Amino acid sequence: MSAEEVYNRIPMLRAERGISRKDLAAALGVHYQTVGYLERGEYSPSLYLALRIAEYFEVPMEVVFSLKPFPRLGSEVK
Amino acid sequence: MTGWKERWQRSQAEVMQRDMLPAWYATRERRRLLAAGAALALALSWVNAVVAWVMGPTEAQRWIVLTLLVVMGLVYLPAVTLMNVATRGVTALAEQQLDERQLGERLRAVALAQRATTTILAALAVVFLVNGMFQGRGHTVPGSAMLYLFLALALTHFVLPLIVSCWRLPDPPPDDDD
Repeated sequence: MSAEEVYNRIPMLRAERGISRKDLAAALGVHYQTVGYLERGEYSPSLYLALRIAEYFEVPMEVVFSLKPFPRLGSEVK
Repeated sequence: MTGWKERWQRSQAEVMQRDMLPAWYATRERRRLLAAGAALALALSWVNAVVAWVMGPTEAQRWIVLTLLVVMGLVYLPAVTLMNVATRGVTALAEQQLDERQLGERLRAVALAQRATTTILAALAVVFLVNGMFQGRGHTVPGSAMLYLFLALALTHFVLPLIVSCWRLPDPPPDDDD
């Protein structure tokens, strides 16, 4: 695990809104494989791209990106 | 002029996105095999230069060099074409056609390749120096050897970043959502 790992919720947001990887890539102006590498956590975006992704999904940046792993769905329900 | 350049860059970018013979670069092992093939072709170009230098302009030398050039071309052309498609033109396309991840990958590949070419240039300088010391002032290097040396150096300079990029390339994410 890299010390500079950035976690993201792009696959979840994409699935929730029914957006394909290629559509998201076209909207962001990046190669579709870049979206795949982002989702797999193999590439950390620049601040500019991260802001554009958050803007595209119309959510605050911290909803999409985090330095800590996102909790699994339902894990906070006791 | 600009229109022609743009059309060329666009068509080059389109070709790089086509899945030409995908089985040849589907796995990391196969991509590394392609990179090794291209490296072998480069090595042959250096062997050519050495043969031309050591044997001088003889009939036997011409045949050896010609055979090596044919073998080199047969390995080099398909390997470089497939490596360009596998890397989606990371080292071949114009900068404005690449995104930030691809540009970062290109910079890393060029930086690593430059280290290798610096070592090659240093080794060449040593070879020329040692040759000059032992052969004396009157000794000349055959013109054909210089030509093949230039060819080997130019090919190495142009193709090494692509080889490095193809060697490092992780498995691309599957097209799972269309």
